[in-house]
Amino acid sequence: MSPTTNPNTEHAPSFGSYPRTSIAVISLALLLAFSFSSLRGDTWVGLLSFFEWMETTWFGYVGKTWGGAFALIQAAHLVSLGVLGGAVLFSDGRLLGLFSSLPIRDVVDGAHRVFVWALAVVVGTGVFMVCGVAVKVYYLPVFWYKMLTLAVGVLFALFIRKPLVDREISEVNPKIVKLVAVASIMIWFTVAATGRWIGFS
Amino acid sequence: MNQFIYDIAVWFDDTAWSTAIHESYYLYNWIESTHVLTLMLSLGILFLIDMRMLGWALPNVPATRLAERLNTPMLIGFVVMFVTGFLLLYAVPVRSSQSLWFRIKMVLLVVCAVNAYLFHKRMTQSIQTWEHEPRAPSALRRGAAISLAFWTVIVICGRFIAYDWYDCEYAQPDLVRAIAGCVDGQTRF
Repeated sequence: MSPTTNPNTEHAPSFGSYPRTSIAVISLALLLAFSFSSLRGDTWVGLLSFFEWMETTWFGYVGKTWGGAFALIQAAHLVSLGVLGGAVLFSDGRLLGLFSSLPIRDVVDGAHRVFVWALAVVVGTGVFMVCGVAVKVYYLPVFWYKMLTLAVGVLFALFIRKPLVDREISEVNPKIVKLVAVASIMIWFTVAATGRWIGFS
Repeated sequence: MNQFIYDIAVWFDDTAWSTAIHESYYLYNWIESTHVLTLMLSLGILFLIDMRMLGWALPNVPATRLAERLNTPMLIGFVVMFVTGFLLLYAVPVRSSQSLWFRIKMVLLVVCAVNAYLFHKRMTQSIQTWEHEPRAPSALRRGAAISLAFWTVIVICGRFIAYDWYDCEYAQPDLVRAIAGCVDGQTRF
């Protein structure tokens, strides 16, 4: 991977690729260190009052008392998750060499915009859903796995994958492009799967 | 008709495989998870195509080429959804077949299938005229909007099936009993 951005590309990132990737790698390393330190347990205990407060908010009240509203928001969460997954599969599929008759730059950029909107709805509806059952999910390990994979997914998408695909893709090592595409699909599949598993816990 | 559907459901319910799936915590959840996660392949890609037609997304990607290329993965997604959906119905046949939401969902699936057929037909008839336009012609946009709206309602209905608000097991208004297909004197729920 060349450290210089192709001057011909119209999609040169405003924020250099290496700083963004470095931030993501440092954040992931800190996340990992946090997960294995005693700080994790202390933070978890400290968060209980926050989760109890979430249940007292308007979102929490509606989520708890109006099953229809909760189900509707769940459906919106599912639809937006579907759109997010569709954008990921389409864009990463193109990076993997599928749909090769479609222009790669337009596919990747267009799918990213859809991805960002879908992610915003997924997170917004997700917050509403958590408010309704905040203390319950607080005690569920799978909920924290989901939060962890979501954080990894967002960091990966915005700080590793995006800077890479902002370059002239044909100039990037194809193996790296494919590796990033496979990793992206796997991460978002894990986010969705852990989310689904919350419902079974 | 409702009696016939009920009898079929009871027959399913009496089979060993139905009981096995229903009583297996992991198998049932795996099937349900596959059904939900395949939304990303089927619905997600369908919505990308619909949004492209409406001019909401991917405006620079050639529209019909996009629809043609994404057709196969989308259909694979829908096949997986139908297979897993049937298995979920088979595992809990009586309650599912008498669910108000399930019945609305089935009707909307048929409407969406007809809409998809008409959409595809219109699209192939008019490819040359608008391939690189940011928005499709109005007839196709209408089809895309119907698809987006109805598939969203299908997901809502699918989600509502899990709730027992209108189950035949409880006292329900006559209209609900008629739509849900509750059978007088039924012993299986």
